[in-house]
Amino acid sequence: MKAPARHTGPAGDTDPIEGYLAALTTALRGPARAKARMIEEMRDGLVETAMAYTDEGMPYRQAAGEAVREFGSPEEIAPSCQRELTIVQARHTARVAALTVPLLFACWYLVRTTGQGWQPPGAALLPAGVAATAALLASATLAATGTLARRLPTPRRLPLAVAWTGTTTAVAMALTALAFAVTSPPAVDWPLVALVAALAVASHAVIAASARVCRECARLSAAPSGAGG
Amino acid sequence: MRADAVRGHLDGLLLSVLESGPLHGYAIITAVQERSGGALELRKGTIYPALNRLERLGLLRSTWESAGERRRRRYELTDAGRRSLAAERTAWREFTTVIGAVLNPAPISGQTT
Repeated sequence: MKAPARHTGPAGDTDPIEGYLAALTTALRGPARAKARMIEEMRDGLVETAMAYTDEGMPYRQAAGEAVREFGSPEEIAPSCQRELTIVQARHTARVAALTVPLLFACWYLVRTTGQGWQPPGAALLPAGVAATAALLASATLAATGTLARRLPTPRRLPLAVAWTGTTTAVAMALTALAFAVTSPPAVDWPLVALVAALAVASHAVIAASARVCRECARLSAAPSGAGG
Repeated sequence: MRADAVRGHLDGLLLSVLESGPLHGYAIITAVQERSGGALELRKGTIYPALNRLERLGLLRSTWESAGERRRRRYELTDAGRRSLAAERTAWREFTTVIGAVLNPAPISGQTT
């Protein structure tokens, strides 16, 4: 089968396939790579469907319109796409939280060992405990939405719970970093403290941003929708 | 058969057409429609998120392959996918046996009209 020549009509007369994909791209939220992959797969499917019609002699524009009709309208297809993208985003947020917290704890442990017997204050231990708990919940989410999901249904509100877990982790890690930095004695290795604090700030930004997108995805998934298939 | 009737069976249908070897999205849709004799009305767009989900569950694996200027994602069953398909088939046989027994009861022997 030969790829059909795209219709190049008057200005504003967009290709039905590209118009369809643009509408879906606008409607969907989620990790950029996963979303781009889904859209690219759909483009291939739409083009192949249109090619099957053009090979039978149908004009390209009509064939592309028929391919789009067979795919289902963006309003019909978007909910099932969004559900999957929301889970992928929740897994991304959970993965970032689950990996970052142990890394930062290891860094702060290193700072503590340079402090010659210095013990971190209770004010630092509380948010550290919260962050550790959130990281454990994030790890459980990764397991529950991976191969375990073959046997366990994924709760509909899980992505929203992951989003708030991510936000909690980000805030708790920031508070831990602040408490450590403020109470560290002069004996500690201050360049090391500054490095770890910068790492904590960067981690805070990454987790908080991922959690925000996760919340948006969860909101879209929960929105009333038509048939998703 | 309407698209709504397929809901709940889509996973089994997708795993089934991939049993004989790897396929890309369009070929999977075509295989499902050919096997059903054109009776199944799938909203074609719904199979892509379904394929992504089955891959996340470890039932499929996929790789990109080039098709001229385009790229396409080719899916194949994993061992877990083959086991899941076998379980789907068993569950479907049991379901149709039970429902069939209710809808088409065997005539009671010795019954006169």
